[in-house]
Amino acid sequence: MNFGLPTLTNTANTSTANSATNDESTTPLERDRPADGSSSTDAGRSSTRATTETDTIIEARGVDVYYDADQALQSVDIEIPERQVTAMIGPSGCGKSTFLRSINRMNDLIDIARVEGELRFHGKNVYDEDVDPVALRRKIGMVFQKPNPFPKSIRDNVAYGLEVQGTTDDIDERVERALKNAALWDEVRDQLDKSGLELSGGQQQRLCIARAIATDPEVILMDEPASALDPVATSKIEDLIEELAEEYTVVIVTHNMQQAARISDKTAVFLTGGELVEFGETEKIFENPDHDRVEDYITGKFG
Amino acid sequence: MARNEYQQQLEALRAAVVEMSELVCDRFRRALRALEEGDEKLADAVVTGDHEINDLYLELEQECIDLLALQQPVAGDLRFIAASFKIITDLERIADLATNLGAYARRIDRDRDRHRYPNIDVSHIGIQTIEMVEEAMRAYESDDAARTRSIDAMDDDVDALCERAGEAVVRDLLERERNLDDGILEDVSRTLLTIRDIERVGDHAVNIAARTLYMVENDDELIY
Repeated sequence: MNFGLPTLTNTANTSTANSATNDESTTPLERDRPADGSSSTDAGRSSTRATTETDTIIEARGVDVYYDADQALQSVDIEIPERQVTAMIGPSGCGKSTFLRSINRMNDLIDIARVEGELRFHGKNVYDEDVDPVALRRKIGMVFQKPNPFPKSIRDNVAYGLEVQGTTDDIDERVERALKNAALWDEVRDQLDKSGLELSGGQQQRLCIARAIATDPEVILMDEPASALDPVATSKIEDLIEELAEEYTVVIVTHNMQQAARISDKTAVFLTGGELVEFGETEKIFENPDHDRVEDYITGKFG
Repeated sequence: MARNEYQQQLEALRAAVVEMSELVCDRFRRALRALEEGDEKLADAVVTGDHEINDLYLELEQECIDLLALQQPVAGDLRFIAASFKIITDLERIADLATNLGAYARRIDRDRDRHRYPNIDVSHIGIQTIEMVEEAMRAYESDDAARTRSIDAMDDDVDALCERAGEAVVRDLLERERNLDDGILEDVSRTLLTIRDIERVGDHAVNIAARTLYMVENDDELIY
């Protein structure tokens, strides 16, 4: 399911109160950390991806999600490590996309959706009343299955979120940096005024990634970001995801198990009924999972 | 069950590896007999038959590569294919060792047969190592982790027997220092080589057990 609403559109619609000052330190999210762990996260940021000890950036505790009376997720517990790639796999209807959308409260946009339990970002429950979902989505960006650039120039697509934020930085410089980080700069540097819609599918998806990272998020959620792309464009996105994980936390939902195996550090396996059955190092999941149901699913003996 | 074709290919691979092991063990038993009885014809058959096993080995190796490339196996399936890939190499080496024994048997001077020296029966150790291989292959065939663990202990036994046999040959040789002829030296050298080759079969049996244990339980205890 795709709402057709990129993160920044939501930001644009509702963020006036917050973006007026453009001081992120005043948003409740950024500074409300547990008193006992206030400095550990900052310390973790200077570490490289190579360190095995990583901090948890997102933590779910007993998360249930309902669509009206239907339960889509059952008591999910998970700790997502900072600056790593975490993949979520499972059959259709297992709740993996629902979980992804719960992280940055995209489910708020669905009237019948209800989330229970705690979903903490830097220790702060994102469903607390004092959390502004728009500020949250600025820190936790999202990339969708189908590339959805705005019908605007390449430059404006990337600059959009920055302008909405009212950033005082040099916008061109930040556009360039975002396009470089999204591995698109070399292909579009001479045609920044061209419409984003004129790019190929793979380029459009990298443009959407550039748009998501332009506002300097900490987490990028990706919902099947390569499923509409050909193998070459897919490899580029996969390479990019691994590079992004040096700076950002990436959480990716994919139907492609080999893709999860190739690019993720950790893998979460959801199975029918909205249950997170196993979560662990990707090598462990794909070489020797603990649960027979997970083994049956990943080896294709399922059903 | 989904992926039926693939599941059938995996089972066919397992059956083919087991079949290869039966061929190899049979070959090794024949080689021991050729050596024991000085049977040149049997020795020839063992030596010239080795290419069959090589061909089978290459065929199964290709089958493993095809499965890896085309099916992207994971978890238990992956460990099964990885283990099979290693096990066929051990089986092929055992067949090479059988060929060695066949070659030694061809060189036995049959006129001296009655007085063969040294008077040490190594073929019973050879039978014991082949039984280890068969036991390891039963574990592989039936995903039986418990069976694999006894094989390591059996190998300690074989190593000790081989060491004692080797010492006995050398001691006997030293005692006869004045009565040596070329024939005796050849017998001694052949017996020592045979002991060494038999001991290696036991090592391959342990390898097969180790890969099987990894395959069944993801346990690398016997690999190291």
